[in-house]
Amino acid sequence: MKGFFKTFEHDHWVMPYLKRYKGLLALVLFLGFMTFFCGGALMFNSGYLISKAATHPYNILMIYVPIVLARAFGIGRPAFRYAERLTSHNWVLRIVSDFRKRLYQAVEKQAVAIRQTHQTGDVLSILAEDIDHIENLYLRTVFPLVIGWLLYLFVVIGIGYFNWAFGLLMLLLLGVIVILMPLLSVAVNGQREFQARQVQRTFYTKLTDSVLGLGDWLISGRRQAFLGQQDAPIDEIATLRRSDHYFQWWRNLAIQVIFGAAVILLVWWAGLMFTHDQAQANWVAAFGLALFPTVEPFADMSQGVSEWPVYRDSINRVNRLDEHEPVQVPQVTVGAFETLTLDHVRFTYPGAQRQVINDLSLTLRPGEKLALLGPSGTGKSTLLKLILGDETPTQGQVTVNGVPVAQLQDQRAQLFGVLDQQPYLFNTTVMNNVRLGNLNATDEDVRRVIKAVELDDLIGSLPDGYNTQVQEAGSRFSGGERQRLSLARILLQDTPVIILDEPTVSLDPITEQHLLDTVFDVLQDKTIIWVTHHLTGIQHVDQVRFIENGQFDMQGTPQALYRDNARFRALYDLDRGH
Amino acid sequence: MIDQRVFQFPGVRKVIIWQLLLTLIQAGLIILQAKYLAVAIVNLWQLKGVGTIGTPLAIFAVAFLGRHLVTVLKNWLTYPFVEGTTKRLRKQFMAKLFDLGPSVVAQEGTGNVVTMGLEGIDKIQTYLMMIIGKVLDLSITPWLILIYIAFIQWKEALFLLAIYPLIILFMVILGLAAQAKADRQYAGYQRLSNHFVDTLRGLPTLKQLGLNEQYAGNVYEVSEDYRKKTMATLTIAMTSTFALDFFTTLSIAIIAVFLGFGLMDNTIQLLPALIILTLAPDYFAPIRNFANDYHATLNGKNALTAVLDILHRETPTDRETLPAQTPVWTADDQLTLQHVNVGYAADETTLKDVSLNVHGFQKVGIIGASGSGKSTLINTLSGFLSPQAGQITVRGTQVPHLDQAAWQKSFVYIPQAPYLFHASLRDNLAFYTPDASDAAVAQAAERAGLTDWIATLPDGLATQIGEGSRGVSGGQAQRIALARAFLDDSRRILLFDEPTAHLDIETEIELKKTMLPVFKDHLVFFATHRLHWMNEMDYILVLDHGRVVEQGTPAELQAQNGAYVRLRAEMEGDEPA
Repeated sequence: MKGFFKTFEHDHWVMPYLKRYKGLLALVLFLGFMTFFCGGALMFNSGYLISKAATHPYNILMIYVPIVLARAFGIGRPAFRYAERLTSHNWVLRIVSDFRKRLYQAVEKQAVAIRQTHQTGDVLSILAEDIDHIENLYLRTVFPLVIGWLLYLFVVIGIGYFNWAFGLLMLLLLGVIVILMPLLSVAVNGQREFQARQVQRTFYTKLTDSVLGLGDWLISGRRQAFLGQQDAPIDEIATLRRSDHYFQWWRNLAIQVIFGAAVILLVWWAGLMFTHDQAQANWVAAFGLALFPTVEPFADMSQGVSEWPVYRDSINRVNRLDEHEPVQVPQVTVGAFETLTLDHVRFTYPGAQRQVINDLSLTLRPGEKLALLGPSGTGKSTLLKLILGDETPTQGQVTVNGVPVAQLQDQRAQLFGVLDQQPYLFNTTVMNNVRLGNLNATDEDVRRVIKAVELDDLIGSLPDGYNTQVQEAGSRFSGGERQRLSLARILLQDTPVIILDEPTVSLDPITEQHLLDTVFDVLQDKTIIWVTHHLTGIQHVDQVRFIENGQFDMQGTPQALYRDNARFRALYDLDRGH
Repeated sequence: MIDQRVFQFPGVRKVIIWQLLLTLIQAGLIILQAKYLAVAIVNLWQLKGVGTIGTPLAIFAVAFLGRHLVTVLKNWLTYPFVEGTTKRLRKQFMAKLFDLGPSVVAQEGTGNVVTMGLEGIDKIQTYLMMIIGKVLDLSITPWLILIYIAFIQWKEALFLLAIYPLIILFMVILGLAAQAKADRQYAGYQRLSNHFVDTLRGLPTLKQLGLNEQYAGNVYEVSEDYRKKTMATLTIAMTSTFALDFFTTLSIAIIAVFLGFGLMDNTIQLLPALIILTLAPDYFAPIRNFANDYHATLNGKNALTAVLDILHRETPTDRETLPAQTPVWTADDQLTLQHVNVGYAADETTLKDVSLNVHGFQKVGIIGASGSGKSTLINTLSGFLSPQAGQITVRGTQVPHLDQAAWQKSFVYIPQAPYLFHASLRDNLAFYTPDASDAAVAQAAERAGLTDWIATLPDGLATQIGEGSRGVSGGQAQRIALARAFLDDSRRILLFDEPTAHLDIETEIELKKTMLPVFKDHLVFFATHRLHWMNEMDYILVLDHGRVVEQGTPAELQAQNGAYVRLRAEMEGDEPA
């Protein structure tokens, strides 16, 4: 219980929405309550109806009201239920829209930080899953629980109206079902369900690991070891599941037993209360039958609640997301691009020992083209992050026209265009994807840049032309074509500085050659910083720099380096296959 | 109603017989329970005093308790069968994955296969747990109740009987309509619900384009669109449940009114009327339960189909044709491929009519543009793919494919990104030889040029590497794979598939220095785009569109001035300006 309140102490993901849409929420709860009310009332009314009829009243009109009511409740129950299900889903989906927007904004603000703390892209799927969990929290825990309690209060007050002492007894007895049992479920089963998810997640990771390395398993010939590795989690999951099931069976039996006791007591009480004359005795059957339809909502409460620990996990995670708002730097704007300067820049990742960038200085002017090379881990990617302002130097500064890039983040998309290893294509049409570079671009502009990147023939040959869907992550197109589409996007974006972050790394040499020719042809008048892993196409730049241990090592024009530097010449020749 | 395949699981008969017996008992208890509650109420109604309801209420209590105990008993008897079956399915599934190998898994998708083995089999468990009970309940309980009611009052029984097919009919009609609509919209849904993850993944790109803030509105709009579409389908999907609910609840109301008229006309007494009224909800309960779990049933069925489909896949037979010997490959051995065709599916051929003959410790370079079939050839040589046609001869033994137990002990496979298991560095190094001594592992690491790097690791060889742990650079991953070859001296064949494509030129040079000594005393197959490796080869295969268009020593190919020379020229590109 303590954990419950603690979860919501600083919550700003679940509670605020309960408040914002309180009208609809009240409607959902009302409809849910009416569903079960009608169910109980139908049996109550029917019991009275036939008891009354059995006294052979002299006129049919004497039972006319119960007859009409029987039909009303009979129609009411399914109608309310239908309405409740539609309203609650509508309510939850409305909240999901808000959630998605918020999650997007939270992730957007800290895109860099999140990628650092969570290495894999899985974090995104986990977050998306969290939203589904919160959706289920409402549908499977909150609504059934509140509706169950409303029903419980109604039953207790209804009986208490006739006899407060017996009402109190029912309060206690049914309280065991609607309060004690859910608590017990959270305590016992909740922990286990949480544990089961943990085991499942570990199993998932392990199995993925084994399947990804299946080739090596096969070559190793260690079939028994492979199977043995999966046995432990399989058995562990089975054991947890078994205890889970056993608990559920016995808990449900306990609920039924208490419920049965309540029915017997109710009949007994009705026998004491309503047997003074025949007119009163007609109510006995009503009370005797009315309780049965409530057992279903009461029993469901415990199951919904035992899923709580999983939801709590999700609520905590999304709440933690916007805990650390990044510090806002006041933003300014600069005019036409004149210089990009790195002035004695040093950088160490927070919490790390090693200095990744060690006193780098560099100045680039409009139209200059620089290639950066160096083994992986020497700080090439970090340098790009510093230039873009995703990271701030620990010492020294990165400036554009003399203004630190941290102050130019609002203008960053007008200053820098980026073509990286795997540019993302959204699951929409070619036209829309390219137009993302400049939303004001006309169809004519898009066609122009597509022609510039030499994709016009290909797009033209597609049955849907520019309206072709690129499919998930652009899978409709090959690696080289995807790069060209992104290049077209950058052309529309029309920024003075272009950053190329190993755009050809997954391409074969022929495709690579052609792509680089196009890139440097269409970006002739731009300033280019190109990080590359080898020397193909190096003749396109006017300056080559090698980074080694966070410092510039060899540098010069490719021609001069080839002429004067034996090491460069050796690398170059090797790259060309000599 | 039950998937026929459920009957093929061992132990299912016993469970069915038990369930059948217990369902019969339970139906009896339901009737008993209703009857004695009614007796107690009628006694009170007749003003006989509270003293007279003790016995009927006691019988009610026993029947009620018994009924729910039987539920527990049913579960308790069914569960071992369900648990045993799912456990066995899981283990069979794992074994099948191993036997099918990586190329089948790659086709199915790693994520898909893993999900099938975990969540898919979970769904089967849920399905097995409920399907037998639900179907038996549906086919026994209502009819026993109906027969009992018929004995008391045949007219009401007739009404209840008549309404039943009507309920099912409406349920089916509305259900089918909803299903059809849902199916039509399903693709659209998937797209919309994936849109969110799609957007999150693309956030860095959005940021580069300066659209990150603007896009929040788009996220909301798409989500709202999704909500509206979902609601439209749900409205129809839920009408099927509504119809069922409507007919059953209204039937109870109608029965109550019928009974009321009967009582007024004196054609029925209160006791039987009350029994019928109490039993009416139980008459409808099984069909309602069945409908409520319809989706879980459907999911379970689909999962079962998917899992059994994998389990019934054919695995290569004749895996022992090649006689074992250590080492498997020596300087005098020969491998011949004649007119071999290979494809990923039965109706397509990726490698066409490949013939080659290699012997001893030759170094074979494989070169060609993207998609020319280099990887397919390596996968055939490793036995991950079986040929569709042609002949393969190893050491004079003709084999149908290279998925031979003995052959797999002969080679080390080094792809572009060698897979590193989430385990210690030592376990990764000694993956083929888990029993290797620490000294041997350390020596292999030394020869692979890993010693300096290992010295920087916090726990040395015991450091955890792989996904989610310490990152290992591409060059180091290659060295780890290479160390596996050093550790197992009996593996004399090296299969390289673009090992250096992702590496920067300097790292590649360093790696090459370590690699070249290993080539000695090994048969090497080396598929690559990087031309300088060809200088180390003594035999070259040039692939184009799945065919070997040229083969021979580098000197011969140079002299021929054909495909090899053209390809090299194209790959080299321009001279420096």
